[in-house]
Amino acid sequence: MLEKTGVPTPEQVDSIFPTEERLSQGPIAIIECFQPIPCDPCATSCPQGAIAPFMDINDLPIINNKKCNGCGICIMKCPGLAIIVLDMTYSETQALIRLPYEFSPLPQIGEIVLALDRSGAKVAEAEVIRVTKGKPPIISIAVDKALVKTLRNIRPQPSEAAILCRCSDLNTDDIREFIAQGHTTVDAIKRLSRLGMGPCQGRTCTPLIIRELATVLSKPVESFQPGTYRPVVKSIKLGELAEYTE
Amino acid sequence: MNRTADYVIIGGGISGAAIGYFLLKNGAKNVVILERNYLTAGATGRCGAGIRQQWGSEMNCLLTQFSCNFFENAEEELGYPEGIEFHQGGYMLLVSNEDELAQTKKNIALQNSLGIESQLLDVNQAKVLTPILDTGNILAAAYHSKDGHLNPFKTTQAFADAFIRMGGNIYTNTAVHGLKTENGRICGVDTSQGHIATDCVINTAGGHTNIIAALVGEEIPIYAERHNILVTEPVEPILSTMVMSLSLNFYCQQVPHGSFVMGRSCTNQPRDLRVTADSSFPENMAATVVKIMPALKNIRMLRQWAGLYDMSPDKHPIYDRFPNVEGFYVAAGFSGHGFMLGPATGQIMAEQILGLEPTLPWNRLGLSRFETGEMILESSVV
Repeated sequence: MLEKTGVPTPEQVDSIFPTEERLSQGPIAIIECFQPIPCDPCATSCPQGAIAPFMDINDLPIINNKKCNGCGICIMKCPGLAIIVLDMTYSETQALIRLPYEFSPLPQIGEIVLALDRSGAKVAEAEVIRVTKGKPPIISIAVDKALVKTLRNIRPQPSEAAILCRCSDLNTDDIREFIAQGHTTVDAIKRLSRLGMGPCQGRTCTPLIIRELATVLSKPVESFQPGTYRPVVKSIKLGELAEYTE
Repeated sequence: MNRTADYVIIGGGISGAAIGYFLLKNGAKNVVILERNYLTAGATGRCGAGIRQQWGSEMNCLLTQFSCNFFENAEEELGYPEGIEFHQGGYMLLVSNEDELAQTKKNIALQNSLGIESQLLDVNQAKVLTPILDTGNILAAAYHSKDGHLNPFKTTQAFADAFIRMGGNIYTNTAVHGLKTENGRICGVDTSQGHIATDCVINTAGGHTNIIAALVGEEIPIYAERHNILVTEPVEPILSTMVMSLSLNFYCQQVPHGSFVMGRSCTNQPRDLRVTADSSFPENMAATVVKIMPALKNIRMLRQWAGLYDMSPDKHPIYDRFPNVEGFYVAAGFSGHGFMLGPATGQIMAEQILGLEPTLPWNRLGLSRFETGEMILESSVV
């Protein structure tokens, strides 16, 4: 299973999962590393010496549950993103999971995100408690204690907004906000949002923005003018342009 | 739409928006701004948006000093948390010949006497502040650290938002077709959306000022000249200063978003209100700027456009009442720097219309100077 899907079996997870007793004492790192590969930053980075020194670079890490204080330094060191820190003492009903997160943009503190299992499937929702910047950043989420063996990643809530302008990164929500403020032509929106000012120069986004204007304002598409098209047809380096004068 | 107004401003650029704001701020009520297209559709939205206090005339120094001080606090004063992108990265005027050096020294002495802390830099100092400069082309540079550039769209919107919050009305997509007078006094404006009765109209239509003036048979000595400008793709910040040179004929800045915006004066430009693209401009612009800042040669140009400079005979603005029509005012003739003068324009017109004590010497900026010959000369315009 692990070799084909990257997801360990429940038995493999159980084999490295800390005891109830240890979990009741505070945060601890959990390393879901099941494949002997030549990699040892976790062992060399632990300031507590809680990960046994490797005899062979292909060794699997073994955590000393007494020494580990759940500091989380090993999370950032693991290139396989295989380490989390679990704190079952976070609250009566919830546990805190600190996990590595390599996507951009980072979630905001307090944001409710989708909590995913190891295969990436949505299992629950979770509140972001802390965002620690680093390489990679570490996100702390509060989750139901019953799901601590399942949840291993997050993703933002899906947005219903569709991208309209790729160059200036504007979506339908952004454009509707400008329309709500009374900017109801392509040019009027362009001047405040940079819509159509990027490398495509409006060639991609103009029909999309006109359709959005027509939908929101309930007017025919033909009643909207595109922005003015101007030279150059295709972007050109200043150095190449300069040669034309010689 | 309003059927009556105390004040009707024609033109929705920086000047119109600022005049509207300062009128309300100084106690006026029932003010309307008319714009035939959208806000900043004219010269404001097409300009290079440089802000400098380094001028050759005392008058321009005073006007821009007022404006620059205003811009420094504009986000708070106008209540515009999105920000107007005022980048005070300094403004560097490159000097490339001996005559220009002598004039620059005089200008700096004048500026310093007015409290503008500009200074003359040698080529090494210039290179420190503008590392991408090829100093082989220059002798020295004038520099003022508090100058820079800002976003003309957002600045105008900030004035407009404040104006609306204070009770003003803006009508976009509303063209002016006629002005009504009665016994030599303005009494109304005919627009594409209907008639507005008013006894005060302010004409701040940029290059189109004389078209509006002609509706009541007036004309002022300005003409509209096309000026070209281009923008590149955005890149990481490599140019903090706004760089300009009169003798090398260019200005160039990198906006906070990362794009380079640059322009230069071209010969034989039409004066018929055309804002079409000049096909020879991009290559001449590129050749100029690549010679002075070679690092820009690998950055791609995305677009060129053009706007109108409303040129006055002495390159200073005209703030006055039309002589033959009571209640009809004009703010025009900005000669390529109407954007940076915006706050001063607003303040001056409010003082003039409301009969307030002048904070700036605008009595010298009236139309009579062209008859008496008391013009103010300005050399520093690209």
